[in-house]
Formats: sequence, C-alpha cells, structure tokens
Amino acid sequence: MANDPISQFNISKLLQLDVGGYDISFTNSSLFMVATVAASAAFLIFTTSGRGLIPTRLQSISEMLYEFVAGLLRDSAGSEGMKFFPIVFSLFTFILVANLLGMFPYFFTVTSHIIVTAALAFGVIGMVIVYGFYKNGLGFLKLFVPSGVPGVLIPVVVLIEVISFLSRPISLSVRLFANVLAGHITLKVFAGFVVSLSGLGLGGVIGAILPLAFAVALTGLEFLVAFLQAYVFAILTCMYINDAIHPSH
Amino acid sequence: MEVEAAKAIGAGIACLGMGGVGIGLGNMFGNYLAGALRNPSAADGQFGRLIFGFAVTEALGIFSLLVALLLLFT
Amino acid sequence: MIHRCSVRLFRALFPVMVINMTENPQDQPKDEELAKRLERLKSNLEGPDSIAAEAEQDERTRADRARSKAGIAQAFRLSSEFIAGVVVGGGIGYAIDTFFETSPWGLIIFLLLGFAAAVLNVLRAAGMVAQSEMSLKTVQEHQKRTDKQDQNE
Repeated sequence: MANDPISQFNISKLLQLDVGGYDISFTNSSLFMVATVAASAAFLIFTTSGRGLIPTRLQSISEMLYEFVAGLLRDSAGSEGMKFFPIVFSLFTFILVANLLGMFPYFFTVTSHIIVTAALAFGVIGMVIVYGFYKNGLGFLKLFVPSGVPGVLIPVVVLIEVISFLSRPISLSVRLFANVLAGHITLKVFAGFVVSLSGLGLGGVIGAILPLAFAVALTGLEFLVAFLQAYVFAILTCMYINDAIHPSH
Repeated sequence: MEVEAAKAIGAGIACLGMGGVGIGLGNMFGNYLAGALRNPSAADGQFGRLIFGFAVTEALGIFSLLVALLLLFT
Repeated sequence: MIHRCSVRLFRALFPVMVINMTENPQDQPKDEELAKRLERLKSNLEGPDSIAAEAEQDERTRADRARSKAGIAQAFRLSSEFIAGVVVGGGIGYAIDTFFETSPWGLIIFLLLGFAAAVLNVLRAAGMVAQSEMSLKTVQEHQKRTDKQDQNE
C-alpha cells in the first residue's frame, strides 16, 4: 500500500454492475458493509443459540449489548419508544462493528465516507419526521414552537428552531465521519513517520520509537472513539425518537 | 489587480478576526476552568453564564466569517 | 467486608456524637474523657482503614475515567452541533440567494439565524435548556435553582 494517508479510503470496484444507466457496482465499501452485517448477525445468532439460563461468556456479551441499548432507549424515550428498539439496536451494532472492523490493518472503514453516515442520519431523521406526523398529525409542528414565547418573537424563534432541526442530520453524520476519517489519517501519518524514519539508519530507528509509541496510543484512542461514536449516534437517535413521540414536551 | 483576487485577499484578511475570537474563547474557557478547579461546587451554576459569554464572543467571529463569505460569494 | 462495613458505620455515627458533645459540654463532665477515647479509637481505626481508603480511591479513579469518557463524547457533540448549525444556516441563506436573487441579504440573515440555532443546539446538548424553551429567563431560573440546590447540599 502506498505511503499516502488518503489512499486507504479509495473505493475500488470489485464487480462491475450497470442497471439502467446507474452504476451499482459492488465495491470494497459494499464488501465491508456486507462483512459488517454478516459479522454482527453471525455473532448474535451464534452466541444466543445456546439460550442457556446461565449465560456463557459470549452469550453474556450479547446480552449486555442488548441491555445497554435497551436501557439507553428506555431512559431517553420511555417505554413508548421501545417499538423503535430494532432500528436503534441495528444502527448501534452496525456503526460499532463497522468502526471496529476498520481498525484491522488493510481493512476498509465503511464509516469514513460521508455518504454512508449521511444516509444513516437522513434515514433516522426521515423516520422521525414520518412517524411524528403519523402519530401526532399537524401537532408535530409544535416541536418548532416552544411554549412561553411572546407573540412578536414567534417567527424568529420558529425559524431558529427549524434551522436547529435541519442541522441535526448534518451534525449527526459529519461527527461520525469526521472523527473516523481524522483518526485513521492520523494513525496512518504516524505509521508513515515510523517507516520513513527507520529507513534513515540507526539514528532514525531510535528516533522512530516516539512516533511508534504515539501510534500505539492512538490505536487505543481510536478504539475508544469507535465505541464513543456509535454510542453518541445511538443516544442522539433515541433523543430524536423522543421528539417524535412527545413533540410538545 | 484583478477584482476576484482582491476579493479573495480581502476574505482572507477578514478571517483574521476569527483568530481574535479564538484567543478570547481560549481565555474564557481557561479562566472558567481555573475558577471551577478552585471551587468545583460553584462551577455547574456558572455554566450558563459561560455559554452566554461564549455566544456573545463567538457572535463577533461569526460577523467576520460573514464578511469573508460575503466577499467570496457575492 | 465486615470490617469495611463497620468502618463505614462508625464514620456515619461519628459526626452525631461529636455534635452532641460540643452542644452541651458542661452538662456531662466525663465527655472530655470520652472524646479522648474516641480520638484514640479513631487513630487506631485509621491504620487498617487504608484498605477501605484504597478501594474508595479505586472507585474514584474509575468514576473519573468514566466522567472523562463522557466528557470526550460531550466535547465531540458540542463542537459538531455548533458547526452544523452555522453551516446549515449559511447554506440555507446561500440557497435562498441563488434562487430568489436576494443577494446578499439571505446569506446575512440566515447565517445569523444559523448562529442563533447553533447556540441553541449547544445549550440543548449541554442540557442547559429544557428541550424546547430558549429564553434567557429559563436559563437564569435554572441557574438559580441549581445554585439553591448547591447551597442546600
């Protein structure tokens, strides 16, 4: 692989497909999305197939995962929001497993492309809007009119609230994408330092210890970020679902 | 000088104002943290005032960003 | 385990005794002696107490670490919320300018509105504003309430 921090994000077509003028080729990104789904599904099915009353270690991992997301959703959206549990759980596991898979060397990181994260975020917001209108009718628009605002200020406040609402999918997708992208570029740059310094002879090898230590520490940080970003995405999804269920607060 | 080039230079100079805002915000958050470490129990109560100061300071930065954007896009 | 429990229990009982002693020192002249004995007992307890203290410190560092993790998550959230608000506002303004040819007013107004929305986003993300109330009054009231709570504690 080239010593270029950006080349790890290149998308290459593995299978050329054209349907009706649209390019729907199977790329390495699609491959790793399929791998993510397959890995998480296989893990969950495999570990819970025993259904032991006393869980084995692996089974308790999946049970912890379930409990974690269920607690998250119940805390922020109430028991009414539990019907959204499947989508929140899928989002959380997809992002978490995709981030963790991306930490393997030579693997492609699905969430480092903004189109993927933006699709997830707009999916969530679209679901919130559709469900909000389905559940509350036009009462959903109360979300944009906070209570206790003097009449003169209402147009301004409503505009601000609408912009605030529209900024949600942007912040949701950009945060995930930017964190993963920046983290992987930094890792690659530090790893590149190690390689180019150690090519300079003995002094270079000694000097390369510092960036190597940094790269190790950054790898740890990246694992933390991988989990944190999935967590933040899931908890914000829960909060937006709460908005759809109770728009008037 | 070409007008486009002058606009781009002007936009760049306008963005210098954001540096001042950066200094101000750093000052503010640093002082908040220093105060919060001296008296942690009072820190949470002052968080709202911190955000208020942040908003007022950052507004000036947004103005300079606005000038830069106006120079670039209009 | 039992030992640690007894230490906790003793600590919980301690302040009560101290207060009782200081309130009426004349009534019970033996109190001084009692206080000395308590002091000795306390110093005796301090020695083996180190295990409990260590455990406590362990707990504290773990809590600290959890809090710093939450802090990182919140920092990510706050900065991206702010930037997203400004970007969306400016984007809307620019789009309005290109569609209705109102240049440059759309950009000016909507960038400022976007800034206001961004501050609102930040406040909401920091949990300072109850989900949909944005007037400064509520913030101040909230502050007063938290101040009062602090004092009560």
